[in-house]
Amino acid sequence: MNLALSVENLSVSAGEKALLKGLTFGLSLGERIGLEGPSGCGKTTLLRTVCGLCDPTEGTILLHGKTAEETGWPSFRRKLVFVAQQPRLFPGTVRENLEKPFTYKHASSSMPMEFIEEMLHTFGLSAETLDADTAKLSQGEKQRIGLIRALSLEPDVLLLDEPTSALDPETVTEVEEVLRRKGEHSGLAALVVSHDPEQIRRLCNRRISLVNYATGRLADA
Amino acid sequence: MPEPLSTSIIHIDALRLVLSTCLVLVAGLVSVSFRLDMEKRLAVAAVRTVVQLLLIGVLLRTIFQLDNLWVILGLATVMAAIAGRAAVGRLSLKTEGLQGFTFVTLIVCGLATTLFVTKIVVGAHPWYKPQYLIPILGMILGNSLTGLSLCMDSLMKAFVQRREEIETELALGATAWEAARPAIREAVRKGMVPIINSMTVVGLVSIPGMMTGQILSGTDPFEAVKYQIVVMFMLAASVSLSSMGISSLMFRKFFNARHQLRDLPVRKGE
Repeated sequence: MNLALSVENLSVSAGEKALLKGLTFGLSLGERIGLEGPSGCGKTTLLRTVCGLCDPTEGTILLHGKTAEETGWPSFRRKLVFVAQQPRLFPGTVRENLEKPFTYKHASSSMPMEFIEEMLHTFGLSAETLDADTAKLSQGEKQRIGLIRALSLEPDVLLLDEPTSALDPETVTEVEEVLRRKGEHSGLAALVVSHDPEQIRRLCNRRISLVNYATGRLADA
Repeated sequence: MPEPLSTSIIHIDALRLVLSTCLVLVAGLVSVSFRLDMEKRLAVAAVRTVVQLLLIGVLLRTIFQLDNLWVILGLATVMAAIAGRAAVGRLSLKTEGLQGFTFVTLIVCGLATTLFVTKIVVGAHPWYKPQYLIPILGMILGNSLTGLSLCMDSLMKAFVQRREEIETELALGATAWEAARPAIREAVRKGMVPIINSMTVVGLVSIPGMMTGQILSGTDPFEAVKYQIVVMFMLAASVSLSSMGISSLMFRKFFNARHQLRDLPVRKGE
């Protein structure tokens, strides 16, 4: 089995508070794992730790067998993109937001305009959205643009935090279909945090309950 | 080129100084008539003005007489430390270690600009001649302090309140510098705005203090103007250098080698 991501004996904390201990799992190419657990159990912190926005207290994270130190942190994050529940869009137009990651030093390609136009259409957004001011977008539109921005980077792994929480059922289906298709055709793997057990059942190949790795209060519960 | 004017200084004796207190009394009368309840504060401020300025007068006279490099550098260090403390005092958000940063920035950028002006532009001999070095350094520190605090305030707010935006850039593969660059650019710009504004209106809206002082002490106005041009340019250099310097130090404090934005403890300023 080709592992895209290996998480070994990972412990994470938020500030002084320990959240998870001894978490080990592998994510194969094209696989999607659902992360479950009550609010505050460390799901978002885990995603942030996996992409290296914060440090684990212990453990190793490997992307195709290499640590972020070996790959270089910006290149590592580019292949393992974190999409927050409410993706932050920068001031300016949607086009400028989508272009921005391709202006960074570690960008190896230019903005895939054709793919972006296709995604806009698939996610129910018009081509004119490209010139819209991000301050005027709805939460749902922001969430879709955040997903398109992440997908356009052609990552190996997506770290999705409640990726469809602000979307209508039709668009949710489209997003799930795109993720499935990208998994089959390009080997895109994903860790998906969702409060909707049905979504995890529909979208993911397997699930991990973080309660089993929780320390302190949650473990007692 | 106009001929230098023949001017001389009128010395202010003790009696004339006492007479000038009438002017403070005017301010006191305003406070009384409008019931501002500021008479006591005004009196304390007036006494402090006299005492502080007399003390600095005595100190400067002693330092001028000593004409010793180490004494002058010691005074420069104290001035930079006070200015650094004042710059941090103005911030609306603070974290540990900023005072050290402002001190290092002010002493390095302040002394570098001062050295350039006294040695190369003015051609003072020796370069640390206190008559030139101390007022020049004083002006540089005073103006850099304003620029520095505006720049730092902007950066503190960006690194704390715009954390999500910066982390989004990092998550999309930006280096720490790329993610911080918009905030740094904005902060340096804010730091430089006051001095650029001053340069734009100097001589039109106000006659700068140093130039006024030189004219009052009998210097030909044209000579005073030339000094003022040098002063404005040196302030532009020192403010931009120190804004850049402090931004670089703060960037290193807030970001680590793993291109992460550190979650530093922050407290609100008074």
